[in-house]
Amino acid sequence: MSITALRRLILIGLLLAIGLGLSLASPSFLKLDNLMTLLQEASQTGIVAVGFTLVLITAGIDMSIGAVIAITAMICANFLTYTHIPAFAFIPVALGAGCLVGLFNGFFITRFKLPEFIVTLASRGILAGLALLIAVKDADGFVSNVFIQDPVYLGFGGTVGPFYIITIVFLVLAVLVQFFLKRTRSGTNIYATGANPTAARLSGINTDKTIFAVYMFSGFCASLSSIFLSARMMTAMPEFGIGSEMDVIAAVVIGGTPFTGGIGDIWGTVIGTVFLAMIKNGILKLGISPYIQPIVIGGIIVVVVVVDVWYKGFAERLARNRARRRTAEQDRAAA
Amino acid sequence: MAKTKLMALPLALFLLCAGMTLSAQTWKIGYLPSTVGQALTKAWGTGIDTTLKAAGNVQLQALDAQMKAETQVSMMDDFINQGYNLIILQPIDAAALTASVKKAESKGIPVITLNTDTLAPHFACVTMDDYGAGYLVGESIGKTLKGAGNVALIQSPPGALAGVEREKGFRASMAKLYPNIKIVGAQNGEWNKDKAIAIMNSFMQVNSQLDAVFAVNDNMAEGAAIAAESAGRLKNIMIWGFNGQMSTLAQIESGKVFGTAYTNAYDQGAIAAKLALEALKAGTKTFAKTQVVTVKPFLATKETVGQIPAASRW
Repeated sequence: MSITALRRLILIGLLLAIGLGLSLASPSFLKLDNLMTLLQEASQTGIVAVGFTLVLITAGIDMSIGAVIAITAMICANFLTYTHIPAFAFIPVALGAGCLVGLFNGFFITRFKLPEFIVTLASRGILAGLALLIAVKDADGFVSNVFIQDPVYLGFGGTVGPFYIITIVFLVLAVLVQFFLKRTRSGTNIYATGANPTAARLSGINTDKTIFAVYMFSGFCASLSSIFLSARMMTAMPEFGIGSEMDVIAAVVIGGTPFTGGIGDIWGTVIGTVFLAMIKNGILKLGISPYIQPIVIGGIIVVVVVVDVWYKGFAERLARNRARRRTAEQDRAAA
Repeated sequence: MAKTKLMALPLALFLLCAGMTLSAQTWKIGYLPSTVGQALTKAWGTGIDTTLKAAGNVQLQALDAQMKAETQVSMMDDFINQGYNLIILQPIDAAALTASVKKAESKGIPVITLNTDTLAPHFACVTMDDYGAGYLVGESIGKTLKGAGNVALIQSPPGALAGVEREKGFRASMAKLYPNIKIVGAQNGEWNKDKAIAIMNSFMQVNSQLDAVFAVNDNMAEGAAIAAESAGRLKNIMIWGFNGQMSTLAQIESGKVFGTAYTNAYDQGAIAAKLALEALKAGTKTFAKTQVVTVKPFLATKETVGQIPAASRW
């Protein structure tokens, strides 16, 4: 079995162990309602994380995702408050806004060779400000958070059978993107761009185009998640999503996609988001003081990543030793 | 592989032990403030806890929404899924928590809101009079300045209803009673002391004459006082806060902060807890109209702060 597959199994093992611990500790953990809420939460982070994973595979980072969530929510709020345009007509516009942010990020990263972190941090600031600027205001000029009543729009927060729509969308998206990454030429280009951009360029891959595409997709995913968020909360706030990038990063890294780029996949990210959502959901049921809760969450993340890194090193050492032994044996046989 | 399992085991055990504390079956009440780290929400918590403890078979669990509406909504879901009997909630945003409150009440879980009402009718709302108290602060500043001067505002984050109402009340009294007082600046201090220091510094640099500052919570007023003092201008600038936390009352006594709109947060928590017990005993599940209880504000200045006994300071 390959190292990656084993690492994945270990992560799933940890996931199940903690799940088991939680269901023993709290009878309400395994209730259908709770599991569905858990998946809903996971999908909220997960949709953004799918886009973010691609960025991370190219060895980039996108800090603007939280602010994209905010600006998308504000665009929808404006449409809902000031126009009678139906939801299915303005939602593509809102999703387009996310892509546009990606285009902006990609432009400055590729044309001006600016560090990804700085570019996306700057667009995060710009978007957070813009979100406040275009937020719906009351008569005195104060931001007023609209109460959404459009049935079509609210439908996105609904369920099909026991599953929230967002969960289904997340899983479909994950399957499609995983297929795209592993089975198409463009998917391979993303890995190549992250692993060694110079080599990729020399072998004829248009790395700039790849970078444009991943940032636009990341923006798109953040916008998509924003629609579901505002539908669930029945309102849109200019501070939506700001700060949520940390959860996304945590989920993707737990899932085994490193900052260094070139490796990682969507299955890992799916497991990572479910993992994070489960810890956050479970911790609420244990009756621990709210002061301790963030420490426990942080601690578990550290443990998971440490186990992962330790195992990776261990497996590599093992493989190296095995290879060395084999060469030694071959040498002996030759002698 | 074996080693990983070994690491997972203590983790699961730890989670299990922590969960044991939740096993005894009594009334379960959830307390969900905007954040647990503030003097105000702590004082509410104490007020609620003391009252419930006296009643006996009630178990209180607090969660920290960390000032994020998204987090608060998922925590509401969690209380609902776990079958809590009643929820005491300080909504971070009125619109954002409306769906959650509706959901809770539709599952027969009464909700008591603190300070911010939601758009859906629910059992009760125990609130400070933010608008009214903001108006009173404006009136008092205007009176001290004899109707003329420059004032500045240190605001709450946009969209934070409590802060916005305080500011609206303040601006209304200025517009109505003291048209000659100029509001020379208004900046968002994010409820936060160090942010307020920076804002106060910029206010003082821009305005050579600044007579009063109204910060919409006490933390920010304390920050403004620190900045004014280090600039040597504390004597000429009157600083007002809002809430009346213990440290600010002490600063009023020592003359650093001029005044604050004080509300007895212990009492407010206790009122919410008493209402909670009533609802649980009566077993009522549906409420056509929210019962609103308003806790009166009290303007604490150097002259009046002595009237607040030590036991009521939080």
